[in-house]
Amino acid sequence: MAVSSGDPGEDAPPPAERGRVDESARPYEHPLYERLLSVPGLDVAVAGLDQLLTWGAVNSLWIFPMATSCCGIEFMAAAASRVDLDRMGAILRGTPRQCDVMLVAGTITVKMAPRVKRLWDQMPEPKWCVAMGSCAISGDFYRDVYSVIPGIDTAIPVDVYIPGCPPNPEQVMEGLLRLQQKVRLQREGRPVPRDDRPETEERMIYPAIGQLRRRLAAAPADPITAAQLASAQALRVREFPLPPGVELPADAAAPRPGRAPVAPASESAATSASRGEKP
Amino acid sequence: MAVSGSVASTGAGPRTRAPVPDPHLDLERYEADADLMTLSLGPQHPSTHGVFRVVLYLDGETIVKAVPHAGYLHRGVEKLCEKLSYSNVVPILDKNDYVAPMLNEQAACMAFERLMGVEVPIRARWLRTLLAELQRIASHLLALGTFAIDLGGALGGGTSVFMYCFRERELILDLFEELTGCRFHYNTHCIGGNRHDVPPGWPELVRAALATIEARFDAYLAMLEHPIFADRTRGVGTIDAGLALELGLSGPNLRASGVDHDLRRDAPYHVYDLLEVRVATDSGGDCWSRYKVRVDEIRESLRLVRLLLDDLPAGPLSSTKPLGVVSQFKATTGQVYVGIESPRGELGTWVIADARKATSPYRMKLRPPSLHAVAAIPYVLPGHTLSDAIAILGSLDPIMGEVDR
Repeated sequence: MAVSSGDPGEDAPPPAERGRVDESARPYEHPLYERLLSVPGLDVAVAGLDQLLTWGAVNSLWIFPMATSCCGIEFMAAAASRVDLDRMGAILRGTPRQCDVMLVAGTITVKMAPRVKRLWDQMPEPKWCVAMGSCAISGDFYRDVYSVIPGIDTAIPVDVYIPGCPPNPEQVMEGLLRLQQKVRLQREGRPVPRDDRPETEERMIYPAIGQLRRRLAAAPADPITAAQLASAQALRVREFPLPPGVELPADAAAPRPGRAPVAPASESAATSASRGEKP
Repeated sequence: MAVSGSVASTGAGPRTRAPVPDPHLDLERYEADADLMTLSLGPQHPSTHGVFRVVLYLDGETIVKAVPHAGYLHRGVEKLCEKLSYSNVVPILDKNDYVAPMLNEQAACMAFERLMGVEVPIRARWLRTLLAELQRIASHLLALGTFAIDLGGALGGGTSVFMYCFRERELILDLFEELTGCRFHYNTHCIGGNRHDVPPGWPELVRAALATIEARFDAYLAMLEHPIFADRTRGVGTIDAGLALELGLSGPNLRASGVDHDLRRDAPYHVYDLLEVRVATDSGGDCWSRYKVRVDEIRESLRLVRLLLDDLPAGPLSSTKPLGVVSQFKATTGQVYVGIESPRGELGTWVIADARKATSPYRMKLRPPSLHAVAAIPYVLPGHTLSDAIAILGSLDPIMGEVDR
């Protein structure tokens, strides 16, 4: 299972090029820290206290379930009797103002996205976001439908992606464990390891293009194959760095025209989030 | 809740003015002794069962008018189906009614089979009936659990019943996972039959799961049916038979209003004509009746699954070859409507074929039962208190995926 944390590593492109909201540079801050550290000699005591606070923060991630569709049902199963997320301290609350984690489970439509953004803005810092399921990650097969936004990370920053359609409750638990790991590392000021998501997409898309091209050569008049090939090629020209030794074919040079940007309620981080837009 | 008005209107005494249960009430002309309060319930509210919004106009705590707003989960499914080939439509429709995906697949496959004149072998029809009844149990268990948790804040054992219902539901999802490899969104039906045959030992697993569910079922019903639950559901959200028929309600919501109508018996499909389906009805039309009908349907489905398991016939599972190319299935002309009895009511699929685009539907229209259940809200909610609104929403059991499509 590939659960990837959202922080880009050393070799990842800048967030603006990928067209995604990225808040990896955001430090973990608390006003109490600065006041305590101004007293000489207190930092040793604070270090012990900080460990205690970290332990508490990691094991009491309260979840705000932004459950819209099928993944919401599977998330309910994860919170119910068999898997029982409560034993990890992940209590579900129905209000954003008491929660640390927003778990976006399900398809987010153009009508719903401003509401999700507003609820995210209502959550107090520090906060994290988990995108559960293909629809919340990328829109999945509703990606090109007029009323669906292609992934919730075009509107709010995402820390952990849980792939699947829908993910099993065990995968939800794995994602929560990854988030706990990330919170722990963030509080300790250590770098967060990152899964190789761009390379995964490259592996997925390149063979498909070759297969479609062969199929189109066999039957040149098939409009469906031609459309699929065009769609795959447009999808491939993302702003990922190519792996060493891999070159783009000549017919894939033109980048995909940007989709119409989703306009969330706030213009803080989301205005630069539309796909393909370079500020 | 901020209520401005006379003290008498908030006390226990008789109200000076009864609210008018009129869905088309003109609020400009409403002359209440207290100001109306507008409350937007949803689209993100745990008890609206998804992303659904009802704007409530409250006089004190009594609802004067309710205006539902849908469309927060509109995914353009019907339009999406027009550009997909017939065999690729089926897994898309899984996601419509995401509590009963088996029934969605069956509705689409039956419509396509009738459109193309494809025969379905008896073993596949038998297995489809079996899967539909298992899915009905799972769906009603989820409806029961969420209904209990909707009433659960002030109710002893509300969350417990939710936990128990999900425990039994997991047993059925395990069976499906054993058969198809997925917990839901199975994609196990194809045009002309089924894709996954019964693995060895599966009937014994089903029997064991059924025995477990049946043994535990009465225990948590006894936990649920106590005076508080009865007070909060009896006489609440009454829909009489005339209104139910006029709104196009179907399924348990219709049968709870006293209309004895079930497509499994009245317009049999699959192998329902070989079975005797005892249709559960109740005459109350209120939340209690809808709950009762669902409970009786779980019992009936348990019986039907046992019957079906005993005589699973041998033979081929599909009359068509496994999928090779997308143009395997073609329909050049005709239109077809197929309605089946999903756990929420009559799930209809209307397909129009056209020769210019023979490999995919020219137009596809779905008739979701939940949409009609939601349509009852402006007629039912006025006159009730805010807490009753939650109970009514839970008892109607709408699934937003198929309301908005």
